Amino acid sequence: MTAATDLSFTAPGLHGQLLQLNAEQLDRLGFGVIGFGADTNVCKYNQTESDAAGLNAARVLGQPLFTNVAPCMNNFMVAQRFEDAQDEGNALDDTIDYVLTLRMRPVKVKLRLLAEPGSDQRYVLVQRKL
Amino acid sequence: MSADAHAQLAAEHEALIQFLYLAPVGLVQTGIDGEIVMINPVSAQLLMPLSRDASLTNLFTALEDVAPELRHLCASFARPNGMICDGLHIHLNSGAAGKRMRVPHVLSLSLLKLDGSRLMAVLQDVSEQVRRERQLRQSDAWLNALLTSISDYALVGLDREGRVSDWNETIARVTGFRPSVVGQPYSVFYPEGATTTEQVQDRLREADANGWSLDEGPRLRADGSQFWGSAMISPLPDREPDLPTDGEAAYCLVLRDISDKRDTVDKRRKSVFCDHLTGVANRRAFFEAAELELTRNRRTPRPIALVLFDADHFKQINDRHGHPAGDCVLRQLGEALSLTFRQVDVVARVGGEEFAVLLPSSTLAGAEAMAGRLRRLVESQPVVCDGVSIPYTVSAGVAAVDAGESIDLDTLIKRADRALYAAKANGRNRIECWSEDRDANR
Repeated sequence: MTAATDLSFTAPGLHGQLLQLNAEQLDRLGFGVIGFGADTNVCKYNQTESDAAGLNAARVLGQPLFTNVAPCMNNFMVAQRFEDAQDEGNALDDTIDYVLTLRMRPVKVKLRLLAEPGSDQRYVLVQRKL
Repeated sequence: MSADAHAQLAAEHEALIQFLYLAPVGLVQTGIDGEIVMINPVSAQLLMPLSRDASLTNLFTALEDVAPELRHLCASFARPNGMICDGLHIHLNSGAAGKRMRVPHVLSLSLLKLDGSRLMAVLQDVSEQVRRERQLRQSDAWLNALLTSISDYALVGLDREGRVSDWNETIARVTGFRPSVVGQPYSVFYPEGATTTEQVQDRLREADANGWSLDEGPRLRADGSQFWGSAMISPLPDREPDLPTDGEAAYCLVLRDISDKRDTVDKRRKSVFCDHLTGVANRRAFFEAAELELTRNRRTPRPIALVLFDADHFKQINDRHGHPAGDCVLRQLGEALSLTFRQVDVVARVGGEEFAVLLPSSTLAGAEAMAGRLRRLVESQPVVCDGVSIPYTVSAGVAAVDAGESIDLDTLIKRADRALYAAKANGRNRIECWSEDRDANR
């Protein structure tokens, strides 16, 4: 990884870069990272996200994202987007305004939805709005 | 506080948070003006698509477009605390969009006023319940229409196991059965082979789930004569589901003699569910019946068998004797199948010269024996068409679902098809069963 690598929430081509990062490197990112596979089971859950939600990664890893981890995203705004991209074999890179219920408080966030046709790994990135 | 106690508390807190995250209903606490204080994920799932400004600051604002009356409803609620609304239905759209996943049609909202400054709300997607209720209302109306337009019917009380719970005059009028029929399963009204023990229970379970279960077919009178009947079973309302009510009526069976209407019913049914050439069921009827039987199997495990038949060298028959002769062969094969198998089995023409028979509550061995009987029957009786005798044979592949095994219809068909292929490959005029180890090369 070179010093010039942009790993900000809005960085272009972020999907490919995230794939390269190990768990420790993901933990150091300033935004939440939830990675999940073709079966929607969560396989990456970084420290930032874990702190915000108040859940240890162990409670979340291996669980289906839209039913057991983030049911708030189980609608056409998020889950359907991933499903459509998967069905049509398209890339997905969208950023939307959303509200998460972190520790039961409504928290305004930006969600970045990332999927690439050649890769099973998909991401929801969570940036808290200030 | 000790480190251990602290860790314990933290773990409990985390578990509690996850409990709220995963609650399959929306929970919201707001101020008296609807300002959201606490909210769980399912609420956000349901409310975010409705929120115009992509924020969840105020519950009334989030629901403004679909339930504009809420603010007023709360403001005009005079009591210091109590239920403001209980299961209020909020219709979001026509329901047409529901075909696409994840677009709820109806939300249910309950609002509890805790005191002068706090409200609790419960939100739920009730689209599926609303759909079912509508179906129920329709069948109520349907039942009424049926009952007012007919002259006679038997009203039979059934206990939880489906046994006749008491006798009355209507039973005698329609079926001729005397009071001694009490205690017998309602299959006593079915001719032999027209139902199975499992199906007797299936209809009760379906009545429990849907509010009714309707089926039409041959029925039996006490003297052994048959009539064409329609039977509707519905659970009796207001009974305690867990009380031991042995022998007490739990269902109502309305049995009608519709022999005189059978022609119309038959005509309508034939146009939709029958193969025009052979008169047996068509593909649509077969798939519907097979899906139903496999669904029942998942609820109450029992074996199901499938036999696929194919007329051997059918193309040669057509080429040598002409298509009308080929049609004759197919008609006779359809007839032979209907006569050989039970009434409860579904005989269908599923391809040009391919027939399928679905056997509820039958094992692989049982179905193989029946298929063998059919094969010998066909072999021994050539079709006579325009004075020409046309001998022909059939091959068959048999597959079965064991009780408790969960396989889908496509897989079952694929297995029977492999077995049929093996029967063809092994010389025709024979039956093969699908088996796991050698994949049909038994």
